[in-house]
Amino acid sequence: MCSGKSGVETKYLKRFAKWTSITLALSLILLSSMALASTVGPMPISVGNALGIILHQVPLVGNAVKEQWTTVEENVVVQLRLPRVISAVLVGVALSIAGVVFQGIFKNPMADPYVLGVASGGGFGALLAIVSGVGLPSLGLFYAVPVMACVGALSTMFLVYAIARTGFGIPVLRLLLAGIAVSSFFSSLISLMIATAGEDIHAAFSWLFGGFPISRWEYINVASPAILVCSAAIYAFARDLNVMLLGEEQARHLGVEVETVKKRLIILGSLITAVAVSISGIIGFVGLVVPHITRILVGPDHRILIPSSALAGASLLVLCDAVARTILRPIVLPTGIVTALLGAPFFVYLLIKSGRITV
Amino acid sequence: MVTLDICGVECYYGSVKVLENVSFTIGSGELVGLLGPNGSGKTTLLKAISGALRPKAGAVYLNEAEIFGMKSREVARNIAVVPQNTDVNFDFTALDIVLMGRHPRLSRFKLEGEKDLTVAKNAMELTNTWHLAERRISELSGGERQRVIIARALAQEPKVLLLDEPTTHLDINSQLEIMDLLKELCIQRGLILLTVFHDFNLAARYCDAIILLNKGKIVSIGRVDEALTSENIKKVFQVDAVVKKHPLTNSLYVIPLPLRWVKASINKRFRVHVICGAGTGAQLIKTLVEKGFDVTAGVLHVLDTDYDTALLLNIPVVSEAPFSPITEQNYKANIKMISEANAVVVTSVPIGSANLLNLKAAEDALERGIPTFVVEETPITQRDFTGGEAQKLLLELKSKGATFVKSQNQLLQLLDELEVAKVR
Repeated sequence: MCSGKSGVETKYLKRFAKWTSITLALSLILLSSMALASTVGPMPISVGNALGIILHQVPLVGNAVKEQWTTVEENVVVQLRLPRVISAVLVGVALSIAGVVFQGIFKNPMADPYVLGVASGGGFGALLAIVSGVGLPSLGLFYAVPVMACVGALSTMFLVYAIARTGFGIPVLRLLLAGIAVSSFFSSLISLMIATAGEDIHAAFSWLFGGFPISRWEYINVASPAILVCSAAIYAFARDLNVMLLGEEQARHLGVEVETVKKRLIILGSLITAVAVSISGIIGFVGLVVPHITRILVGPDHRILIPSSALAGASLLVLCDAVARTILRPIVLPTGIVTALLGAPFFVYLLIKSGRITV
Repeated sequence: MVTLDICGVECYYGSVKVLENVSFTIGSGELVGLLGPNGSGKTTLLKAISGALRPKAGAVYLNEAEIFGMKSREVARNIAVVPQNTDVNFDFTALDIVLMGRHPRLSRFKLEGEKDLTVAKNAMELTNTWHLAERRISELSGGERQRVIIARALAQEPKVLLLDEPTTHLDINSQLEIMDLLKELCIQRGLILLTVFHDFNLAARYCDAIILLNKGKIVSIGRVDEALTSENIKKVFQVDAVVKKHPLTNSLYVIPLPLRWVKASINKRFRVHVICGAGTGAQLIKTLVEKGFDVTAGVLHVLDTDYDTALLLNIPVVSEAPFSPITEQNYKANIKMISEANAVVVTSVPIGSANLLNLKAAEDALERGIPTFVVEETPITQRDFTGGEAQKLLLELKSKGATFVKSQNQLLQLLDELEVAKVR
């Protein structure tokens, strides 16, 4: 063999640099999407003003911006649009990362963040609050729904986990089946509640379709640390996830404490999904398809797949939400409808073009 | 010096006992083969050693440290496993897969560095897969993939390598290549190698020791020639087999006999003694055995094709040292064997001084009144290397009542008639 380093080795050694540039590029796309999304909405506010208002909020830099806008405009951007955009970012990050995690654990391309019944459990909780008013008196209007959704989602996750558990660990097939069974049960309860909902039916549907009709800074203050911490914790298992794609037995032989890693990832993935569900309702498609799209673009290595999916998912959701707010102005569509309407054809296009789909 | 100690290991799947009191020790530089029928507990034993399965009793120690109790990472730095089934269906490249072998040696957020790449590259060069480095693992052939998996195991830089039928999916050339490589690694790097085999001959050729496992228990353990005997093979696999030393490789080789032959030999109570040599009797002996005749042969020289056939078929045979004249003792043994036969056949064997006495033996048969047949596929003039003596003896046989036949088919017909007559 020839001495010195061949092209392959250099390429591998420079992977980190390559990953950094991918991450930077995707971050730029996300920032642009966020800026774009902040300038559109039912109220016409000029791009310059909208950006100025946002920059004005930033400490230090903000004072340099000259105020040329009205207080109403500032309120619309700061109290309505920004929280909505940031919520979309958070939910996009959470659902995409959870999707990557569950597809990795299950080695199944059909897995999504809702595979363990988190969506239907969360939905059941939310509907309890909306239809039956559970939690309303003590938590107040704005908090009852998200809190109840989160409680519902997490209880479901633990229920599924407890059902699937055996003396030797958590076999993924049992987990999948338990998830399906519990999901169907709660879905039926949701249908039952809708059938008997009466005038709350619109609010119930709006929540179930998923979107950001009520986005508040208070939600963001609670949700963002939770999502960031969970994301970082999941990223710590990136290489374990790579190895686990070889199968649990081989992963163990390569030094992965399979059961421990699986347990932590299941809890982290469900937790991050539960937080997302509680602020946005059930937004489908993002968690299922963003990981696939990203995998086609950056490859299967979770060390780049996780951050790329997070950024791409956030961008997708921010843009979809912008479309949802503008396309049928002044009607605001549920964001979950737009993600599937726009995302599905794009995904099919990539699917046909790449000719393959793998985990 | 590294030692792997398996001490009284017992394993259960549920309430079913899969391993019973298994104990042995392997030292560095040793290649040990694990053989046994399906379900004998081979894979379970590998699992118990790799720490994937907790033994209910007993323990496995690597340099006196108990393996079940170590963290997975620590086990993986010491023991690498090449599994039986290496189906992978995702887009990692071969090099990605091999670099995964570095997982137990890298801290959580560390990226593979130069050292890891060097180790991976060396491992891939050893297994002849470096040229596949950037190919997708899912696009490789079974053999290429298996070599990549072995490279991954080597990238772990283990002290112990456990392989579950590592060469099953490979063609014969790759099989030998991989086994040569494993043997070399074993000696050069002082690796401990424990490998499950299905192929006796591959095991016999490469292993320092063999463990025969049956129903979860060790039936035999020891040097290849101690463990791999036809008795042991019969005990473990219920198969009759011939075990011989191969003159070329100087290692044992095992030829399992088809059950058909083993069963057929008890069909008829009619014994045919075949005087042959130089391959003239091989086909005949096989046909006779298949037809259910009780067959004996002699005197045959060791290394002769006919002798090998007789051994393969496990029929009684009087043998003589290679290329030497028949001794008085063996001649008598042959006469004794002939006297117990219902018919004697002399094939178109070339006659020289080494086997001339065999014709005398045929004469003896005629004198005892045993029907004797001479197959003349080749005229005696073309195969007489005794200067006419053989020709003379053959004429004598004719005069004493030997039946001369032109073909094997004719012979078989006559033997069948004789057998039927005898039964009546």
